[in-house]
Amino acid sequence: MATLIEHSSILIIAVPLLIAFLTPLIGMASKKARNAVVIVGLSFVAFLVFALARDVILNGIHTYTLGATSPSLTIPEGAMMPIRIILEVDGVSVFMGIVVAIVSLVAVVYSLSSMKGETGQNRFYTLLLLMVAGAFGMVFTGDLFNLFVFLEITSISGAALVAFKTRFADSQEGGFKYIVVSAVASLMVLFAISLLYAQYNLLNIGALAAAMQYTMLDRIALVILIAAFAMKLGGVPMHMWLSDTYSVAPVSITVLLITVSQASMYALMRIGFILYGVTLDLAVVGWIIIAIGILSMFIGVTMAVRQTDITRLIAYNCVCESGFMLVGFGVGLAVLGNHTALRTYGTTAISGAIFHMINHALFEGLLFLVAGAIFYRIGTRDLNRMGGLGHTMKFTAAFFLLGALASSGLPPFNGFASKILIYESVYQFNPVLTIIGILVSIITLAVFVKAFFSAFTGAVLPKYEDIKEVPKTMIAAMTIFAVIIIIFGLFPGLIVDWIVRPATDALVDQASYINTIMGAIP
Amino acid sequence: MTLIAESGYEFWNPIIWLITFAVVMVIVYFFRKRGVEKYKKGEDQTKIFLCGEEVPGAEQRQVRGGNVYWGFFETLKEYYDGIVRLHTGIVNDYVVWFVAVMAISAIILLIVKLVG
Repeated sequence: MATLIEHSSILIIAVPLLIAFLTPLIGMASKKARNAVVIVGLSFVAFLVFALARDVILNGIHTYTLGATSPSLTIPEGAMMPIRIILEVDGVSVFMGIVVAIVSLVAVVYSLSSMKGETGQNRFYTLLLLMVAGAFGMVFTGDLFNLFVFLEITSISGAALVAFKTRFADSQEGGFKYIVVSAVASLMVLFAISLLYAQYNLLNIGALAAAMQYTMLDRIALVILIAAFAMKLGGVPMHMWLSDTYSVAPVSITVLLITVSQASMYALMRIGFILYGVTLDLAVVGWIIIAIGILSMFIGVTMAVRQTDITRLIAYNCVCESGFMLVGFGVGLAVLGNHTALRTYGTTAISGAIFHMINHALFEGLLFLVAGAIFYRIGTRDLNRMGGLGHTMKFTAAFFLLGALASSGLPPFNGFASKILIYESVYQFNPVLTIIGILVSIITLAVFVKAFFSAFTGAVLPKYEDIKEVPKTMIAAMTIFAVIIIIFGLFPGLIVDWIVRPATDALVDQASYINTIMGAIP
Repeated sequence: MTLIAESGYEFWNPIIWLITFAVVMVIVYFFRKRGVEKYKKGEDQTKIFLCGEEVPGAEQRQVRGGNVYWGFFETLKEYYDGIVRLHTGIVNDYVVWFVAVMAISAIILLIVKLVG
């Protein structure tokens, strides 16, 4: 077991990658065997993630140096700096790993039925597993160049998956927009990395953080990285691709795209808190992130309430929820250099944002799965053409209600638990931000009242009288999300203590991150 | 093992909330049970129109999603006209917004450096 945990970080990336390339071969022999291999493989990966999480929480940061005589040997003998590819997994990395593990497993379970009958399923699962491997890589990597590589893997596989149903013109358009936006963001990230590399001759995040001078070039690299990752996570005003893409992709892929966007949020925070840390103009950069967050919240929710396409409505709500996280992280970053403020409310704001990341993945994921279930049965996403579906799709209606209440931040659901952490801590930084947040939550409730009313209530429309509930595997996938939402809602203290607080502590502890790499000189 | 998510100077305990909610529901049920039990299914009192007007079909009765919150959108027409106009759907514009955010952020940081 100890050996398994020692190599777990690389296995978590390598196993999906290996299965991705085995899938077409197994699929040629048997579809059932292919599906079983994908499910068992991702279950094994999820097991490794939880084992690694336990290890990181108990024993501190986990490093894995590829090609070294020992995985923990970060700096080769005779060298003064890390050269090899290093995975550095701390509390926040492993937290993101848990998000990716849960969501990818649910996405595959849902795909078993929702993608049934589609051609090219071997390629579908190959691309899906590539995206999962890319997302794990983004959150586990300890160096910037590999962050770019994994970002590219998620972008390319993501674009192909968005456009997977090629018979729909809007799917192709969504895929095209995704690859353009992702390519621009990735190349700008690469440019920013080259600016840092040109100055410091380093790519490792810990080593770069130790050497960071915050020169003019560093400032330029910073704004490029902020803008690129903010675009990838759908921050306003760079959010417009998100609704075009999320709404047309197969919903199991949309759920994964949410985690990829959150991996970009993670990358943004890793750069802000660890790579630059206290060398930053903290208040200024913090307020830039807060401004993007507030715009995302307000414009996201006001655009959502106007939509009549249920998936576009949820997609705009994703923009809005990302805003809450950005505000929490922004406040944490703005007070990073002020120990009193950081201790009083800064860490709570960061905890709220981190907790909201997993909650967001769960309830938005559930809402997208419900939207997919509706489309699966009635073949439309248009709310104007729906009505009375709650009579025949009772489970689906209940799941939508659960996701909607959680997203709107109503007690006792998980969305409330994370939002209250954000509200109360952000209030101490600037009360206006909290007031905007509460207003946005109220409009969010209005958004989902509209969607629920239009789709599920009223007399059942004659054309939908014979509609049945979706297949059991789709129900099972939604049930997994629903159960976790309820558990997280009822026991938020446990979740905060077990996985959120360690993630927060890791994010504000730049010294430990650096020392784990630089302190291991033989 | 705590059930409380502390947030600095407040706390949130869903179990206490649920117990309170259940108590309120019991009280509501108590008052409801004291009501007059005159409701009978299948009589005139259950009809939508007492005057005998024919009830239109489900298709006609359903308020469509696009009609919900009509007043809200009318009131905020100018805001929505402006904000929807920005959402062109053209990918070139998306990249322009990206460049604009980069430029504005860079200018802000430059000013801070010059002033500081």
